[in-house]
Amino acid sequence: MDSTVKVKSYKYKKHYNPEQVVFGFIKYLVLCLFGFIAVLPIISCIITAFKTNAEYQTTNVMTPPKSWLNFSNFIDAFTKANMGRAFLNSLIVMIVVLVVSVIIGSQLAFVLNRFKFPGNGLIRNLFFFASLLPSVATQVTVYSIMSSLGFINHLYGYIVMMCGTDVISIYLFIQYMENIPVSLDESAIMDGASYWKIYWKIILPLLKPAIVTSCILKGVSVYNEYYCANLYLQTPDVKTLAVSLYTFVGPKGSQYNLICAGVIISFIPALIVFILFQNQIYSGIAAGAVKG
Amino acid sequence: MKKRLLTIALAGAMCLGLAACGSNSSSGSDEKKELTYSGTVLGENTDLKADITVFNHRTDLDSDDYNGTTWKEYLAAFNKDYPNIHVTITTDTNYADDALTHLQSGDYETVMMIPAINKSDLSSYFMPFDTLDNMKKEINYADTWEYDGEVYGVPSTATTQGIVYNKKVFEKAGITDLPKTPEDFIADLQKIKDNTDAIPLYTNYAAGWTMGAWDAYISGNATGDPTYLNQKFVHTKNPFSDPGDDTHAYNVYKILYDAVSKGLTEDDYTTTDWEGCKGMINNGKIGCMVLGSWAYPQMEAAGKNGDDIGYMPFPMTVDGKQYATAGADYSWGINNSVSDEVKQAALIFVKWMTDKSGFSYNEDGLPVSKTDDRTKLSFDGVDFVTDEPALKGEEDYLNEMNSESELNFNNGGNEKVQAIVEHASKGDESFDDIMKEWNQKWSDAQAANGIDVKY
Amino acid sequence: MTEKKTFSQWITSRRVQQVLICIGFTVIPLVLLLIFTYIPFGKMVQFSFFKMTYLTPPQARRFVGWQNYIDVFRRKDCFGALKLSLYYMVGAIVQLFLALLLATMLSFKTKGGNFFKGLMFFPYMISGIAIGFIFKFFYTRGFVLDTVLQWCGFNLKDLPYWLKDQRINNWSLVFTSVWRYFGQNMVLFIGAIMSVDSELYEAASLDGANKWEQFRYIILPSIKTIVTLNVILSITGSLSSFEQPYVITNGANGTGTYFVIMNRIAHTSQKVGLASAMAVVLLMIIIICTILQKLFFKYIFRDADSDDESYKAKKARLRAEKAAIKANKARLSQTKGGIA
Repeated sequence: MDSTVKVKSYKYKKHYNPEQVVFGFIKYLVLCLFGFIAVLPIISCIITAFKTNAEYQTTNVMTPPKSWLNFSNFIDAFTKANMGRAFLNSLIVMIVVLVVSVIIGSQLAFVLNRFKFPGNGLIRNLFFFASLLPSVATQVTVYSIMSSLGFINHLYGYIVMMCGTDVISIYLFIQYMENIPVSLDESAIMDGASYWKIYWKIILPLLKPAIVTSCILKGVSVYNEYYCANLYLQTPDVKTLAVSLYTFVGPKGSQYNLICAGVIISFIPALIVFILFQNQIYSGIAAGAVKG
Repeated sequence: MKKRLLTIALAGAMCLGLAACGSNSSSGSDEKKELTYSGTVLGENTDLKADITVFNHRTDLDSDDYNGTTWKEYLAAFNKDYPNIHVTITTDTNYADDALTHLQSGDYETVMMIPAINKSDLSSYFMPFDTLDNMKKEINYADTWEYDGEVYGVPSTATTQGIVYNKKVFEKAGITDLPKTPEDFIADLQKIKDNTDAIPLYTNYAAGWTMGAWDAYISGNATGDPTYLNQKFVHTKNPFSDPGDDTHAYNVYKILYDAVSKGLTEDDYTTTDWEGCKGMINNGKIGCMVLGSWAYPQMEAAGKNGDDIGYMPFPMTVDGKQYATAGADYSWGINNSVSDEVKQAALIFVKWMTDKSGFSYNEDGLPVSKTDDRTKLSFDGVDFVTDEPALKGEEDYLNEMNSESELNFNNGGNEKVQAIVEHASKGDESFDDIMKEWNQKWSDAQAANGIDVKY
Repeated sequence: MTEKKTFSQWITSRRVQQVLICIGFTVIPLVLLLIFTYIPFGKMVQFSFFKMTYLTPPQARRFVGWQNYIDVFRRKDCFGALKLSLYYMVGAIVQLFLALLLATMLSFKTKGGNFFKGLMFFPYMISGIAIGFIFKFFYTRGFVLDTVLQWCGFNLKDLPYWLKDQRINNWSLVFTSVWRYFGQNMVLFIGAIMSVDSELYEAASLDGANKWEQFRYIILPSIKTIVTLNVILSITGSLSSFEQPYVITNGANGTGTYFVIMNRIAHTSQKVGLASAMAVVLLMIIIICTILQKLFFKYIFRDADSDDESYKAKKARLRAEKAAIKANKARLSQTKGGIA
């Protein structure tokens, strides 16, 4: 009996345990380590955002604040950097840019994918080449164009520009379009539907996963874009969140505890969206990667 | 960087708008001869009724926490003299850019600090205060915003270039006399390091523009010559060579290099904190900082020990004498498109701010008004030098040289000063080599721009 | 889009309809592309042959031929700045490796897996400006990083200055970039791994394949394409790295990448011609890289195809073995039962 127990436990261990345990241990250790690294910079910011000036000056940055209910920095940052207005502006920019770029992007993709016409290849190549141009480089000359169009310091000017520089979502739409069978269009044509109708009634609804992906990728980049926004949106009324944060964080900045509060305010909307739509975001990102 | 670009673009756009606005304003100003600065006498016309708006950059004066006189208090005092002039003051943190946008939109405040516009565009936006000759009798720095013999701006205050320091730290370090030469200064910094816990000299490297601030010391402070910066500098051969008498640009930047290489500055220059430095100098954690006198009141206001903060002349002596560059800060300008009554009220407001409010004195500036010459900047034995404008036909030379040489003096050339700190700290390039490089760039730029070398 | 009415009254033939829809649907994107990409690009190429500032009126611009291009290659601060891209390339490789590692871990059943995934992914959603500040704060002497390392037993005196020391400050910036993007890469890889037939894992684990073998023979082949793609993308990305140095150090202290330097030359010194030439040169390099990549990718792809075949063969083999395993299992349970 003694021996059988031994055999049993030995077998059991060999088959599941040592490797499993070691691997599990390493796995959780690594995950905790990287989770900690990922969250540490943000945590430090949160700690500091709750400190008063005096507290900030006298305590170590990683010492927790005396009160986790000291919201005065958040209130100060919010009013000082005019963040309420900036939120609204960012929201407007994001919604309009997403809607417009989804529509024009999918329309272009529809035409490019469904019709063979002279110039089809040329247009594809034009967009491909444009994707190679780093946008920071061309801003040197885009500025003068924006200025001559009277687009500076107007939300609409910035919005038009943001819609215009979109290449990724067009790629994505073409990619998806290839998986929508042409027979669907053909049968609709048999029924007498116009191409216009085919686009709106058949193609667009079927593109939904691609639209979600494109909105996520583009939404993140538009919400966080500051280089162009800072260049083209200077007056207080039109600043987006990233720009208002920049005036706050910039060289003449403010106290660190106040800036930390500003930083946190700026990513709270992103955090909420992230928590609510986590899975859609993950699958969107994964889908976006298959563009090749 | 990008903001400058915008400024320029806006200025360009304004040129276009000039024709339209210009005709408008000239037809108006003919009949308003009586509306002058010198013709405005404080204490008269006290029942004048008007609403004026004022736009400026001093957001700090909006706050009740401000240690000095707030806008509210100024307005209360003003309304005691002029109860029926209703003044609304708005302030903006990003003033330099936003003021230009206000101007460009055509809808701007009655009184505002004149932002960076071309002098030739002044008359399209602002009314002339008076002739230059008349203004010279009323205020200092009258020619700051002069164009064609008319003055369009009255300086709100005037600043000079020296060093803001903590008196207590200096005392503790055993410094009895303020330094007058670079060697003395470095020796004093060493004393601070040896005898106190304070950082002797805080560079403010990370903020960038605070490093570019060193450029302000190479003209009057280092030469005593009002014509140096705008007239001679561009024509000088190798302006960054050592003249051997502890003056000129070479020795200005050498102070920085030496201080860093001798470990007399902060430990980690890459993470300096501009907002934090104010509190640090106020409570004695910093010995001194090389910043214009505009910074003086901010350091005073940043903590409980405002009285410990002092402002001293730059430690450089030219032929046995110390000099300090002095110049106007932002100037008040008056909207040219408002009614005469409002203009009159605005004139009264500006004159009151200049002669009666004590604003310039309160803000630790040099006197602007001829009738109120009080100042807290006790620069005994120091001569103030005001840079003269460039010669006719050479107005663009300095800009061209700055751009071509990429040294950008007084024009955002922060990187070159930051590089001094880096090399001094790393010890990978001697100061003489850095200056040699600058001389080379300067000479190349002179050749490229076809500017003749005269000095 | 206004064609609709005209179209219904006026058009009968499908051909015309096609033409109209082609024009109607392409005109807006093309105009935008022209205005915000090609006209600026054309102007940039033109400017690169002139000596000029933003404000120089067209008639005063001086044509200098290839001088700006010669300067780009001659000046050590221009072309030399490309060397910094190597840091970012190494960073990108490390990032991919880490992402792969964590993606593999998380693709196995993990308690709190979603939580960890969320933690690591979230930095991707934060704006560059905020990240710039967060890391300035993070690296400041005696602040976050130093404090945490002190908890781990390090002595502050032995710790380097993260942003000041020119031997490591570029690594500090690269770390920021890795921090920001590795979670995103990880999610991407998890997506790819999840698309693998789950039968395979079952079969393999029952086969007694250890985790490494599972990774090597099942996971890796299935995500080879996407990994290669990311490696390639990171090369062009590294050449044009801009954001981290721009927001954290503003390119000071030896951290100025090619674009940061270009930005400075264009905006502070207003040498628009030189900056344009720099942009054109980099673009040429990127185009060459892209062409090489395409060729390389084709080669790899062919390779991956053949790999796919062997992968299918493997699958078949595993299937076959599965049957054997089942038999084995039955035998095992029999034995177990026997023992019990």
